[in-house]
Amino acid sequence: MSTGWPAIELRVNGTHHSICVPPMKRLLDVLREDLGLTGTKEGCGEGECGSCSVRVDGELVNSCMVPVLQAQGASIETVEGLAVKGELHPLQKAFLECGGAQCGICTPGMLMAASHLLAQNPHPSLAEIREALGGNLCRCTGFIRIFDSVLAAAAANLNARQQQDTHAR
Amino acid sequence: MRGNPEGHELVGPGTLGGVLTLLANEPGRWTPIAGGTELMVAHAAGRLDARNLVSLWGIPDLRFIRVLGDSIAIGAGCTFRDLRMDASISADFPLLAQAAGWIGSIANQSRATLGGNLVNGSPAADSSPVLLAYDAEVEIISTRGTRRVPYAEFHIGYKCNVLAADELLYAVHLPRRFAKHKQYLRKVGTRRAMAIAKVALAGRALIEQGLVREIRLGAASVAAYPTRLYRAEDSICGRRITPESIRAARAAAMAEIVPIDDIRSTAEYRRVVMANLVQEFLSGLADAGNASNPVLAQWNTAESEAAKDAILPCCGARRWADAMIAARPIAGEQELHVAADRAWDAMEEADWMEAFACHPRIGERGTSNSTAQTAAWSNQEQASTAAAAEKVLAQLAEENARYENLFGFTYIVSATGKSAEEMLAILHRRLANDRASELREAADQQRTIMHIRLRKWLAQ
Repeated sequence: MSTGWPAIELRVNGTHHSICVPPMKRLLDVLREDLGLTGTKEGCGEGECGSCSVRVDGELVNSCMVPVLQAQGASIETVEGLAVKGELHPLQKAFLECGGAQCGICTPGMLMAASHLLAQNPHPSLAEIREALGGNLCRCTGFIRIFDSVLAAAAANLNARQQQDTHAR
Repeated sequence: MRGNPEGHELVGPGTLGGVLTLLANEPGRWTPIAGGTELMVAHAAGRLDARNLVSLWGIPDLRFIRVLGDSIAIGAGCTFRDLRMDASISADFPLLAQAAGWIGSIANQSRATLGGNLVNGSPAADSSPVLLAYDAEVEIISTRGTRRVPYAEFHIGYKCNVLAADELLYAVHLPRRFAKHKQYLRKVGTRRAMAIAKVALAGRALIEQGLVREIRLGAASVAAYPTRLYRAEDSICGRRITPESIRAARAAAMAEIVPIDDIRSTAEYRRVVMANLVQEFLSGLADAGNASNPVLAQWNTAESEAAKDAILPCCGARRWADAMIAARPIAGEQELHVAADRAWDAMEEADWMEAFACHPRIGERGTSNSTAQTAAWSNQEQASTAAAAEKVLAQLAEENARYENLFGFTYIVSATGKSAEEMLAILHRRLANDRASELREAADQQRTIMHIRLRKWLAQ
């Protein structure tokens, strides 16, 4: 059935895609089924759990609630885009080091919500982290280690920046 | 994959004109979809009835915030994130910015639109109470033109509104005239993020010379659609905020709402909590007019025993004093009276008896239970008996004895401002009561005395 539908253009993690899918197909399903990007998970399928969080044109969204037509021409970031050339993103490292991931289902969404936060607010308070991750549910960690992970990643960013500044001088 | 994407058509004309033409040409065929936070849930669950959808996402003509002198216009396609980020909304309509921050989560706020929230028409909608409080008007558009409707008249039933099949919600207009108004918003839910309101109330009021000049109460989750509490508004408008007027507003609110039992809460819980929210808003209004009272400020921070000793003479029942201690800190005079009422409401016969026993018989001085403070206040209250004729005092003594024989407790009447003759007449009348009604009447008199004494206490 994939023919006959108008082409939809997407840029995902910097790569351009042109796909012919039903326009009401959920962005989540397009990412997983049509583009093979299964890092994005489906939890509740109704916008409550945040497992399917991705960034669309710099905004955090639940990809289960976006009909793909509404992502036409958009630039999308998924968890697969966090690591660069095999080097884990500071958030991914921090989640590993601080025990922020257990079963892993919520982790891609947590990482995307956290990276969205750090993109806007590189040094958030604990309260700001809690708000930013308020739409992401985790049934393993009890959240504290996730918050610790985000704080650690923010601190690592700060250190990295200070080192860069030192080198620049 | 969930849902059946092949079973639904979705088109994106990309312009407002394109959408309106589609709606005009085939009225009833097309269902608009904005951020999808409602319809996509139904879609995934396989229960989206709409077969033909038209996308409103990404239409610039629907996504604007314009300050127009004495009003602000908000495009229906604005997301709640847009509302939260806008400086003029935060400045002039802080409750709207606050409610926007309560909607779902960041990911929902970046997709859900103001127009979608209103057209969806959930009784629990987060933006609705605020728009009701702010006297919002909605602007509706079609190829036939535009029209404006007060938002309070937009919903006409459960998930029903006044939109015709070819019409679209275009904008929300808010008057910029609330700088001097006290504003209130509270949502009661299970957690801060994601939770749908069990009950929510937005309030706005203008207080001048101690009177409520204008008031709006916008409520969610207490009827088939978001609604103003007209009767509660009427009950307090033009009046002073007093424990009595707050009680009246509570009663009016409880009488006019029609909450239901559902998975989130019960009708009874919603009724009581809504009354509590009304009370909280109104109490705050009263306090806003008062400088914080030094007696109260000291009492709030005093050791429990000392604080209990200080407030006990205002009533006499120790359980009442305990409840007052538990209610600390109490912000202001009005809140003190409200807390005192609430504590008195929870008392039982033994507590009433304890309070009654602290009063000397009308016409006598001092009781074994009275403290120095109680005795002094009783003397002031019953000052008129000092000047009363011997004959009246003798009659009072005789009738007091009859009363005590009949009911088993001392005759309690708020004596302030009453002559000995008046109190005697009241005593005569009350002797005809049955014991249960008399207990209630005496407890009510005790309540009046309590309020008088609380005022004196604060004035010390």
